[in-house]
Amino acid sequence: MDTVIAFEKVDKYFFLQHQKTLKELVQAIFRKQKTLERVHALKNINFSVKKGETVGVIGKNGAGKSTLLKLMAGVSSPTSGNIKITGRVSPLIELGAGFHPELSGKENIFLNGVILGMEEKFLIDKFQEIVDFSEIDMKFIYTPVKYYSSGMYMRLAFAVAVFTQPDILLIDEILAVGDTAFQTKCIKKMEEFKKLGVTTIFVSHSLETVKQFCSRVIYLKEGKVEFDGDVEEGIKKYV
Amino acid sequence: MFKYWSLLKKLTSREIKARYKQSFLGFFWIILNPLFQMIIMSFVFSKIMKMTGIGVPYPIYLYAGLLPWLFFANSISSAMGALTNNASLIKKIYFPREILILSTLLAKVFDFSLAIFVFVVLMIFFKIPFTFFMFFFFPIFLLQFIFTYGLSLLLSALNLFYRDIQYLFDLVMTLWFYLTPVIYATEFFPAEYRYIFKINPMSVFINAYRQVLFNGTFPNWESLTIGFLVSIGLYLIAHKIFKKLEGMFADVV
Repeated sequence: MDTVIAFEKVDKYFFLQHQKTLKELVQAIFRKQKTLERVHALKNINFSVKKGETVGVIGKNGAGKSTLLKLMAGVSSPTSGNIKITGRVSPLIELGAGFHPELSGKENIFLNGVILGMEEKFLIDKFQEIVDFSEIDMKFIYTPVKYYSSGMYMRLAFAVAVFTQPDILLIDEILAVGDTAFQTKCIKKMEEFKKLGVTTIFVSHSLETVKQFCSRVIYLKEGKVEFDGDVEEGIKKYV
Repeated sequence: MFKYWSLLKKLTSREIKARYKQSFLGFFWIILNPLFQMIIMSFVFSKIMKMTGIGVPYPIYLYAGLLPWLFFANSISSAMGALTNNASLIKKIYFPREILILSTLLAKVFDFSLAIFVFVVLMIFFKIPFTFFMFFFFPIFLLQFIFTYGLSLLLSALNLFYRDIQYLFDLVMTLWFYLTPVIYATEFFPAEYRYIFKINPMSVFINAYRQVLFNGTFPNWESLTIGFLVSIGLYLIAHKIFKKLEGMFADVV
């Protein structure tokens, strides 16, 4: 099968800026504090993912999981090394990132849809389906989303996100939010994606979900790939 | 860029809609705000300071400088927040980041076009004769837009790294306002300092607007060429820097 994600000798450094303003910077220089800290977030990462694989990424906080996802999403560039991504990447992370509280549910569906890379015509066609999927009452769809309950907000955001028709799906801890019914719905939808042959990268602290959902696991430790392979074995190493 | 056309459109309309949804007078604020500024300034400078001898009534003369200036100043100040306000998007989803800046500026162009209606009404009221030269307004505005866009790209990117840039630039803008012939005419300035207006693109644009709108002449080609070169040069450099830093935005925002 085709390789859709390939990381080749990828290193990522970033500078942790301890001061965000000039005032803090000047103070820090006088007190001889650190101003910039060079963080080696990812160290010589090599792996590839084939089409249709479901890969769980596990590791402690600060191990580089989120940085890895950022590189895959293309929002951050590697310091050295090569990353090759084939196909449309859809980040199912931080739902509703592009929502504007003053705009109505309908306006936000379109806004968020185009932010996620969908075409307007496609959104017009799918509008009813998206609303149905979100289970939001049609009479609220013209209300500004600031009046929505947080549950409604999440459901709407998730509904838009799942209509992106991705080739590669990036999921970051999304199951940590929402009620049980919502979580079940998420899992069900992700299973559907899996059947359609969508490649999924799944970052989670919930080892149970990883076990249930993934066919392969990458265990990151202090920016390095500590283990890459069988789910059971990887989780054993991590625990 | 064409691929992101609908994104640009949606983000621009988000800018426009979201701002006025809550307010009672809505879009009227766009017109009222510069109009009141103009009325106050007109009173101060024509009745108290006695600015005369500029060929056209002072209110319309002032307005022709104030509107482009407000477009410039408002664009810069909104653009500087455009990246930081969209931090959650920048961290998660890739699209060319300059779209965020461009959509902010296009929303300001919308404001500007609304405010122009009042300007046209004033032109008719003060019986300023219509001439063919007025059409030069459009290419001059295009130049001003490129200049504003270039500066916005540069400042918004730098502001991500140090948030002080925003406050620092507020000061710069105050100084810049007085070094630009908005409330006065260049002729009021001491001759030995007038070179400032040649190297200040905002003054080049505002003088050019007044020439084509009120004098019925061609704009000063020499100054406009300088303005053109500065705008294009700034845009090219700013774009390059912006694109170079883009890969780090998600790390620092």
